Amino acid sequence: MLGAFLKGLGTTFKYLFKKPVTVQYPEEKRVVHERFRGRHQLNRFQNGMERCIGCSLCAAACPSDAILVVPAENDPAKPNSPGERYAARYEINMLRCIFCGYCEDACPTNAITLEHQYELSFYDRKSAIYDKSMLLIPIDKGHGEIPPVLTQLNRRPSPPAQIDL
Amino acid sequence: MPDVNLIIDGHAVSVPAGTNLVDAARTVEVAIPVFCYHPKLKPVGMCRMCLIEVYTPRIDPATRQVVLGPDGLPQLALMMNKLQPACVTPVSEGMVVKTTTEKVKFAQRGVLEFLLTSHPLDCPVCDKGGECPLQNLTMQWGPEVSRFDYSDKVHFEKPIKLSDVIYLDRERCILCSRCVRFQDDIAGDSVLGFDNRGRSWEIISKSEPGFDSKFSGNTTDICPVGALTNADFRFRSRVWEVRSTPSICTHCSVGCNLSLDARHNQLMRVMPRENDDVNEIWLCDKGRMGMRFVESANRVTTPLVRQHGKLVPASWDEALTRISSNLSQIAAKGTGQVAGLMSDSASNEDLYAFRKLITETYQSTSLDHRPGASTDVALDDAPLTAGVGKGTSLLALGKGTTVIVVAADVEEEAPLYVLRLRGIQNRGGAVHVVNSFATKLGSGASSDTRIAAGSESAYAAAFLKLVLEAQAANGFDRRVRNLDDVRNQLNKLSIDTLLETAGVSRAQLQKLVDAYMTATNAIIVYGRTAQHVGASVTQTLANAAIATGKCGKANNGLIALTAGANTTGALALGVRPGKDGAAANEFWARAEAGTLRGLMVVGLDPANNNPAAAEGLATIAKHGFLAVQTMFMNETAELADVVLPQMAIAETDGTLTNAERRVQRFRIAVAAPAAMHPTWQICAYLAERSTVAVPASKNATAVLGDWEYAVTSDVTEEVAQRIPRFGGVTYTSLDLSINSWGRQANESVYYDGTSYTNTEGNGVQIAALADEPTAPLPMAFVAPVAFEPKGEFGLLLQTPVRAYNGGSWSTDSKLSTVQVPAHVLISPSDAARWNINAGDRVTIASPVGTSTVPAQIDKNVATGHVLMPDVAGAPLHLTLGAYTRVAIRRAE
Repeated sequence: MLGAFLKGLGTTFKYLFKKPVTVQYPEEKRVVHERFRGRHQLNRFQNGMERCIGCSLCAAACPSDAILVVPAENDPAKPNSPGERYAARYEINMLRCIFCGYCEDACPTNAITLEHQYELSFYDRKSAIYDKSMLLIPIDKGHGEIPPVLTQLNRRPSPPAQIDL
Repeated sequence: MPDVNLIIDGHAVSVPAGTNLVDAARTVEVAIPVFCYHPKLKPVGMCRMCLIEVYTPRIDPATRQVVLGPDGLPQLALMMNKLQPACVTPVSEGMVVKTTTEKVKFAQRGVLEFLLTSHPLDCPVCDKGGECPLQNLTMQWGPEVSRFDYSDKVHFEKPIKLSDVIYLDRERCILCSRCVRFQDDIAGDSVLGFDNRGRSWEIISKSEPGFDSKFSGNTTDICPVGALTNADFRFRSRVWEVRSTPSICTHCSVGCNLSLDARHNQLMRVMPRENDDVNEIWLCDKGRMGMRFVESANRVTTPLVRQHGKLVPASWDEALTRISSNLSQIAAKGTGQVAGLMSDSASNEDLYAFRKLITETYQSTSLDHRPGASTDVALDDAPLTAGVGKGTSLLALGKGTTVIVVAADVEEEAPLYVLRLRGIQNRGGAVHVVNSFATKLGSGASSDTRIAAGSESAYAAAFLKLVLEAQAANGFDRRVRNLDDVRNQLNKLSIDTLLETAGVSRAQLQKLVDAYMTATNAIIVYGRTAQHVGASVTQTLANAAIATGKCGKANNGLIALTAGANTTGALALGVRPGKDGAAANEFWARAEAGTLRGLMVVGLDPANNNPAAAEGLATIAKHGFLAVQTMFMNETAELADVVLPQMAIAETDGTLTNAERRVQRFRIAVAAPAAMHPTWQICAYLAERSTVAVPASKNATAVLGDWEYAVTSDVTEEVAQRIPRFGGVTYTSLDLSINSWGRQANESVYYDGTSYTNTEGNGVQIAALADEPTAPLPMAFVAPVAFEPKGEFGLLLQTPVRAYNGGSWSTDSKLSTVQVPAHVLISPSDAARWNINAGDRVTIASPVGTSTVPAQIDKNVATGHVLMPDVAGAPLHLTLGAYTRVAIRRAE
């Protein structure tokens, strides 16, 4: 009886002299791993266009039905995204989200990515729904070129194939 | 045809000779992938996706005998020593078919790899994604990788508008020609075609305006890729996100089965739901794109009551109390003081409850389903007597079938019947069209007889005369009544005079009569003009069907293309003037005379384009009480004391009876925009609040029971119990489904998106009088009426129906741009006579007034005949019935 008691205290005693694993959050924040899955963001292309084309595949892949996409047709004069379609509404319910990253996998344009932000707390349920304006990154933070498959809007027919004789 | 035995992938198959291998394989659930083939279209073998190995028994050329192998079985040889396209290879005795060999798989992978070389693969953007046969087939049969350069795809400008409602994305197109063949073979509008060759090969519209067809939406269904998309659904939602609700179209009397696809309580699209007895798998554009009025912001959403001369929003309780107390007071003053008008597109339940309210609670027989205008058609019971027999299926008809279409413009009145009647013709039957003006169905029919304007009843009488002569040789059925009377009366009419009036030769008519008499299955279809002229046409045609016994059995009888989606139901359920009751067009005179003081109008707008009705309604509102239930504010509602909001078809449930007396169920697809009650419930509320003392003697004979309804099916059940014709028509029986075209479980893979499988019921056809084996069938003679121009009014004006009539259904619809504007069509000779050019405004003078409308010149219109389409804005108040004598002058 007493032996077990001392054994337990011994462990406690041992840790007194070790480096603590805890940090002084929130003054001090731990750096998360590269592939950590935190809050989502909606990315843009280099030229500032939204990467999201409103295909709803993220919503289809989502196991907890946290994503809502309402698509609409791009105005050719002032497109939001490359191609004909864009997401008029894009919402993620962070209370439902389980941060599995399936949406990221499903996305054909790498529009949605799970980033390192993990500080999510809300005073009411409604504010847990993140809409497009909250998820989209600033217009100058885009990256990458638009893939050819999405640049066909108003494109002229292909020139005849060039044959080297 | 004799059955042929063959073996497909080890399964023994026995199918009729002539069946192609794709269909034969379906019977044993072997899926042969296809793109260009569709069970509803003729095979062409264009896409080569269905290549399979076919072995046939080897024949000795010398003896013409099957060569037997050492094991005593026939020696097999690979047909043509190549793979064969299954869709164009008919079955033959002893065939052995292999669909899963390496050689076949190699071919399938190759075909898909080639198809994908010029397909943009923009599936995430594409509306077809999720129900796309190209996606499905690629997943199941396609190669994992492509050897072609991804960046070397053929590109075209993204969608081009074929019409206001159909968009073509040429780079997605795989050139299967399903759309072209649908338009050519099924719809009969050859407006699509191929252009160019090689990589520039593309689909084009050959018509002006583009894709000028009322069936264009179907091509987007059968398109196996997302090349054709419709403007109504473009980018609204992904197809897997919508929730489908089975429903019925209320735009015409066909009663097409629909699937209303909604997402988040918003209607996303309307798709056809297959029902071989009604619409097969098709749907006209009006049905597909004419449902947007449901979500219009202009809907009446709250009850309105008149206070100090203005309509102000009120609670339901207040509005109902007001209606009830006023109508009760008026009803208590004497029978017939209250009247009811209800649209004949309302559900059976609403019609039944409304009749019960007016006849039993308010003790009146003044009840009607017509708006009380000169365009009202006569009450026509012929289809309930001699309508097509129970079990009729137009899809099964072909050789030996004669369909006579009299005084109807089928494409405008009930578009889907064009496809169904053309189908009969394609399968070897005959469709004869008789009309006073050119129709689209007539242009492709077996015969197209043009009769003089206004001579429909003379033509019908002549037809009956010859039919009776021909039938006399065979004797008449024992059930036929009044035969002698009809014959005596007919004998007084000279066939030559009748034919002269109609402007057809005796030989011409005799040919039609012979076709009718010799047909195994004979159907007479008549439309608006026939019903408008009245019993002299409809009853006469019914006489012909009764006398020849061509009614009361499946695939024989009459089909009346009625104006409303549920006119048959309205007639059968008694929403019609009863004994001593007034018909709608008598209401206005009664209102002026003070014998009609209370009126309830549901879903109709009688004041529109009808000054007499507007005056009558104003009088009722002033001295009595006018209650209106409507979806949109209209001229009638503006006059009303109380306006109640009406639910749209997508927001409520119930049953509808179509032109072939098929009762079909529709369900709730989306919630109403505000708290609303279905009409049957409003009737029940009003009945509960009523203070009219029902005489004890009447109470005992009340036939329609109490008002204990909780849900719509309670009303349906009461209808089934109390209205003999509707016996057995309950939600349970309506929900029984049979699979169409032998659809197999695994087939969505390649017919995906074509239409919805019907698992929610094919409906029940109620019996016509002739369907009862012993019921006597009365014939009745109705003297032909003549419409002849005379005096200063030297032209005959007719008001043909237009499907795109600009009614309130077109609110917010993509079809709003193609609605027919008000105009008149005149013949070139009349135009020359009064110096009228196309587009000129002309003044039409009839005995009741004058009006000015633009004129068009049509070479198909006979001299002396004027057509003024029945569309929104047309001066229909000038008309006096089916035909009106008018004068036309060029407007200054």
